[in-house]
Amino acid sequence: MMGRTIFIDPGRCIGCQACVSACRECDSHRGKSMIHLDYPDEGHSVASLPTVCMHCEDPVAPCAEVCPADAILVTADGVVQQADTTRCIGCANCVNACPFGVPKIDLQAKLQMKCNLCYDRTAYGLAPMCATVCPTGALFYGTLDELRAERPGVQVADSFTFGDVVVHTGVAMVVPADKVQWPVPGGLPVVEINGRDVR
Amino acid sequence: MTEPPQTAEPTPAPDSPAQGAVQAPAPQTPAAVRRRAVLAGTAVSALLILAIVLGSRLLRDFDSALLPYAVATVFLAFGVAHRYTVWVSAPGARRLFRQGWRSFFSAANFRKAPTALPKMIATYLGFQKFLGARSHARWAAHQLLFWGCVLAALITFPLTWGWFTFTSDTGDGPGYEMRIWGFKILGFDALSVLGWLMFHGLDIAAVLVIAGASYFLWRRMKDRGAITGQRFAYDLIPLIALIVISVTGLLLTFSSIFLHGGGYEFLAILHMVSVVFTLIYIPFGKFFHIVQRPAAVGMQLFKYTSRRKDEELRTCRRCHEPIDTPDYVENLRGTMKDLKLDFDEWAEYCPRCKRVLRGNAYLTHVKKGFK
Repeated sequence: MMGRTIFIDPGRCIGCQACVSACRECDSHRGKSMIHLDYPDEGHSVASLPTVCMHCEDPVAPCAEVCPADAILVTADGVVQQADTTRCIGCANCVNACPFGVPKIDLQAKLQMKCNLCYDRTAYGLAPMCATVCPTGALFYGTLDELRAERPGVQVADSFTFGDVVVHTGVAMVVPADKVQWPVPGGLPVVEINGRDVR
Repeated sequence: MTEPPQTAEPTPAPDSPAQGAVQAPAPQTPAAVRRRAVLAGTAVSALLILAIVLGSRLLRDFDSALLPYAVATVFLAFGVAHRYTVWVSAPGARRLFRQGWRSFFSAANFRKAPTALPKMIATYLGFQKFLGARSHARWAAHQLLFWGCVLAALITFPLTWGWFTFTSDTGDGPGYEMRIWGFKILGFDALSVLGWLMFHGLDIAAVLVIAGASYFLWRRMKDRGAITGQRFAYDLIPLIALIVISVTGLLLTFSSIFLHGGGYEFLAILHMVSVVFTLIYIPFGKFFHIVQRPAAVGMQLFKYTSRRKDEELRTCRRCHEPIDTPDYVENLRGTMKDLKLDFDEWAEYCPRCKRVLRGNAYLTHVKKGFK
């Protein structure tokens, strides 16, 4: 069961990039933003989607599982840390295996970096940088009860489907009440690309 | 940001095997891995003991005062071989390990690019260019630490194994002979510059290590990025251990030169305890990266070799941006299959397209109001 975590509500995201800027201030990757802000239907819709690390719980951290150097550690509280600088060999296995497209890699530095839920802050009970600055609450940090105290009746999902595989995550997404019993589609199998049916 | 072209390939059926994917090796039970690791550790330790006995000319050259150090190196050999075996048994490491060695032993690869491997070894393992891309100061400090440790290891390991001997025909010099495995390598005057360097090699190494380790220790206390998530046993103990070894080693020289040997025995025990502890710690903590880092060369050689096949890079199925070499992508898909991460097909999409496709799916199937 999810505890204190990030709840993402893409419906509230206005694409202002405040989270992207704030992420750069995180002490563990100063100057580099680890959050992704994508515009899924750019040119046709103002929809935007912020992506932080989903901190996969089952299967636990695919990025860590495929790492050949045991560089990605998962802390006891379920936070998937960014690569250990001493161990990472820059192979990019994690970058290409992550189902959510989260990790980044610096090929010159042979180093992977990713969202670590602002561990320097969350370990002390503070909200991550992105959730702290989000003006619309598209990124909310807290418990489900705290979220529901602010948004009565809100429903969240913490499972995503990729083909036949269901991935349960530590970070959750806000979903309409009638969709809560289903895992959120992760985009695989790809049935549509830019409006074109590719089934 | 430009929109990707509309020509994405349809995805194959979920159960179709990845093209050219290496067949999954038979799964290994944890008990089988543990058994193999113990066997490997025992075999390497036994080989080292044999090498010590033979190299010291049936223990004639073995210095019994250095016995604790030699015993610690035998434990070190066991620990490193054990952990290495466990490490390369995990699916991700096992596949990369095989591909790396396959590239290493490829005669065709050697004929095409004979300088590639030495260049990679010098760049990644010797001069650690990648560290310079992370931070110039960290690179400089790590070079001091690295070369100091290499120098110290080259001197002390053969000495503790009885492979090196320094003998004088006159009993107390200044003419000395250096022998390896009983064979005379060179003769030198202890009072010459070469002699000074020979007898103070470990002092030089200690100065290099203290400078490098002190910088890292300072950084671990001051740099907020480094402090995030650091652990005392993993990040600080190795630095403290290196500094203790180096300082006690220098104090031994100080004692013999300025104190006429005062406190030497106590310092020698302190030094020995710190070295033995560190040697035994190597396989279990941060120092294991010394053993792991050559995997970076194997990985680079594998990618380099597959790039030289003149095949085009595998591109994202949606936006056609390059991902990596076909061999690399197939290797990763194989690893994911081994781990039962059955969304390996997803490895053929770039990270951005994965996010955008997920966003599209959310728009279409979850929350239409999002549009």
